[in-house]
Amino acid sequence: MNRHLRRTFYLFALGFVALVAVLAYWQVYARESLANNPENSLQTRRALEAPRGTIFAANGETVLARSEEQPSETGGNSTYSRVYPEGPLYAGIVGYWSTRYGATGIEIAENANLSGTADPSTLDELINQVSGGPQPGNNVTLTINDELQRAAYNAVASSETGRGSIVAMDPQTGEILALVSYPSYDPNNIDEVFDELINDPAEPLLNRATQGLYPPGSVFKVVTAAAALKDGVRPTDMFTDTGVFERPGYTVVNYDDGVYGAVNFARALELSINTIFAQVTVDEIGAELLYETAGDFGYGSSYEDFVLPVTPSQLGQGDIAQLAFGQDSNVSNVFEMAQVAATIANGGTAMEPHLIREVRSPDGVIIDRTQPQVREEVLDEQLADTLQDMMVGVVDEGSANLAQRSVEIAGKTGTAETPSGDPHSWFIASAPADEPQIAVAAMIENGGDGEAAGLPAAMAVIDTYLDLDGNAQPQMEDQLQQDLPTDPQGIPQGLEENFPQQLPQDLPPEIQQSFEQFFQQGGAG
Amino acid sequence: MTQRATLPMLLAISICLVGFSTLIFVQEATSPPLIYGAYYAGTLFGLYLAVRVLLPNSDVLILPIVTMLTGVGLVMIFRLTYDVEGVEGLAITQAVWILVGSAALFLTVLFFRDYERLFGYKYLFAFLAMVLICLTFTPLGYEVNGARLWVALGPVSFQPSEFARIALIIFFAGYLAEVRDLLAATSRTFMGIQFPNLKYFGPVALVWAASLALLVFEKDLGSSLLFFVVPLLMLYAATGRVAYVLAGFLMFAVGSTIAYFVFGHVRVRVVAWLDPWRDPDGMGFQILQSIFNVADGGLTGTGLGAGFAQTIPEVQTDFIFSAIASELGLLGASALLLTFLVFVYRGIKIAMVARDAASKLLAFGLTAMFAIQTITIVGGVIRAIPLTGVTLPFVSYGGSSVVGNFIIAGLLLVISEKSGQNERRVGSEEGNS
Repeated sequence: MNRHLRRTFYLFALGFVALVAVLAYWQVYARESLANNPENSLQTRRALEAPRGTIFAANGETVLARSEEQPSETGGNSTYSRVYPEGPLYAGIVGYWSTRYGATGIEIAENANLSGTADPSTLDELINQVSGGPQPGNNVTLTINDELQRAAYNAVASSETGRGSIVAMDPQTGEILALVSYPSYDPNNIDEVFDELINDPAEPLLNRATQGLYPPGSVFKVVTAAAALKDGVRPTDMFTDTGVFERPGYTVVNYDDGVYGAVNFARALELSINTIFAQVTVDEIGAELLYETAGDFGYGSSYEDFVLPVTPSQLGQGDIAQLAFGQDSNVSNVFEMAQVAATIANGGTAMEPHLIREVRSPDGVIIDRTQPQVREEVLDEQLADTLQDMMVGVVDEGSANLAQRSVEIAGKTGTAETPSGDPHSWFIASAPADEPQIAVAAMIENGGDGEAAGLPAAMAVIDTYLDLDGNAQPQMEDQLQQDLPTDPQGIPQGLEENFPQQLPQDLPPEIQQSFEQFFQQGGAG
Repeated sequence: MTQRATLPMLLAISICLVGFSTLIFVQEATSPPLIYGAYYAGTLFGLYLAVRVLLPNSDVLILPIVTMLTGVGLVMIFRLTYDVEGVEGLAITQAVWILVGSAALFLTVLFFRDYERLFGYKYLFAFLAMVLICLTFTPLGYEVNGARLWVALGPVSFQPSEFARIALIIFFAGYLAEVRDLLAATSRTFMGIQFPNLKYFGPVALVWAASLALLVFEKDLGSSLLFFVVPLLMLYAATGRVAYVLAGFLMFAVGSTIAYFVFGHVRVRVVAWLDPWRDPDGMGFQILQSIFNVADGGLTGTGLGAGFAQTIPEVQTDFIFSAIASELGLLGASALLLTFLVFVYRGIKIAMVARDAASKLLAFGLTAMFAIQTITIVGGVIRAIPLTGVTLPFVSYGGSSVVGNFIIAGLLLVISEKSGQNERRVGSEEGNS
């Protein structure tokens, strides 16, 4: 019988080993993703005990989220609650922080910094972390330009349907300058209104900029045009439109049944002629190059390094004649289309999009600053410039003449047909066209033609940017100057001396004196 | 030779006292933890000394393990319920139950040193097990959280199934020791499949039927599982026939599938296990909170008192392991699991050196139940398997469970005492010659 007993013991031991393996899976491998799960409220509970870091807009002044101390009623330790001074304006970016419903947005993505649980970077932090005392969090500064954010928010909010999204970015650096999803919600009282929000048919909790997928319609033609240029099609190549494009298996007609006759390729983009794009795609580009080019622009990518979750755009399987002008199973998000406009504006080089400008410790020492990074070389510079010129033509001679300004604008409208009511109204643009500093994508759900709703919304942001352009740049320079803390005499200190030379408040006087002596000697030497 | 385990005993007590002392700092509870600690250390060390005197040849390593597990449980229950509205008194109750359990162990080793006598009354134990289970269907029984597991006798309420299990294992040990040869031999073959003699197999089938009844009427998935699997393993140990195990698991699979489709509460457990995200605020809530807390612990844990395991409903009973994993981390939780495994190892060892088949089967049955119960509940709270509501032996809050497990430890001690005496006698005879 002992043989059987021994065997069953091995069986039990195996069971215990399996338990340890599963534990290790949760506690080591899956730990981070579970900590950041929106259903997980443990991080938010922990934050009640120590102040979380503040979140700033790019100017370093506008506070987007801060912690407010609330003295305990029973005389114990104080707790901290989260306050969002800008309310719904930044909800799509900053997210919310709730002990009941977990957290979203920057609040959860940058939790390690905000909660001060990241690896310690100063001696104070190290001591605090080892001693287990409440650890104040680091401050996070975003790349969002507050004025642009306001302009974008108001533009979507005042649109006819009041549902949509705008993303603006700096094509040269990849900095996100504005990111708006509307309708939004007030993160200040998320606990009370959460159930209401989750049942709201307007879906205020959905981040339309990064997670809403929509047919892009004709704005996608710039991607198709990029593929065509790569394939050797020139803007001057002539095509003939008879109002209908027919091949075995394919039939395409123009929006509003337009018939345009003989036009060149640049003109086809200006007038947004579906049949010619279908023809170019089926006859010249082919499915493979179209998928490849869309992939280079960012289709199918979830942008893992970006702090907000991005639902990948998809070309899907389907009729490539339809996919070529943004219909059929072609779905995209506004973030992706801003990336397309920025890539073309930046000479075909896609920059890694980012929202975090820098992270500082509570006493102002820079812990991390995001450097611009190249994401993908999508197009040769020459082809990109050609495409940019074609998009200038769209504004100057074509469908988007409402976007004409004193400086040249490159743009493309999109009227994305959808089974649910009026088409979605799209516009992507960059300005100034010859040396672009801003790229914008705007989408108004069921807003109608591209120039009806999407265009004015995007241009509201560009106009705001161009107006403040003159003083915005020097302001940024100032910002950089301020990065190094200065001593009272105004002499910038070296990095080694950035270390806070501040003494703990409650030291006995004799120790304090000897510390001061030490520092004076150190200073003299 | 007298076996000594004083050092492991002191080690276990010290570890738990460190735990109690830590709570003074993290929970700002000034004196209660030390009072609990002193009380716990006194009770279990006294118990250890008593067993040393009463059963000098027993496997006394059992007691340091029990001490360790009980202590960790009491620290955790105190930590989870101190100053928490509605459950403030649970640690005191648990402390009392540990005292009662210690007394039960003491009485077991005092009166059942000749535990072989119990096998003479094996049918009485089978009857007792059935009566205990049926007690929950009488007006004395009542439901908690949808499962009818409780019986109130005057001011005392208890879970009869905790004790029915022990009675049943005593019965099986006695019965299988008698008929094992008859069961091991094949009586007839039908369509190429060998069948055991139904006459001897009858009682086994009866118990399996009873386990199904438990499942259906009491909605007690945990007991039902134990009542099914433990006799199965004992059957294997007694006969060495893998066919029994295979047939049993086949029946188990069929039964589980039927139960899944017929009973809502089974389906709820399975669905909550497979996809807790589907209903994170409802069915999946408890298991998700458990996983979040386990993951929060990481490698080294948040530290005693610094976790948030109170977010798990009923954490002090079924889910106490999640709280331990959260605050003591992978290292602490693995150490605890290792402690359980050492108990299982000692139990199997006691079975292997026991003199006769009945003693072997008794020690094995008790150990197997302990092992499966531990694997089932730990596996359940870490989402390795569907959750079944059984307690973590010695650690979870619960009077019936604590007392029942102390009795199991007592029985293992008396069994080891017998074989220890045996060895001693053989040893001294050899020495004399």
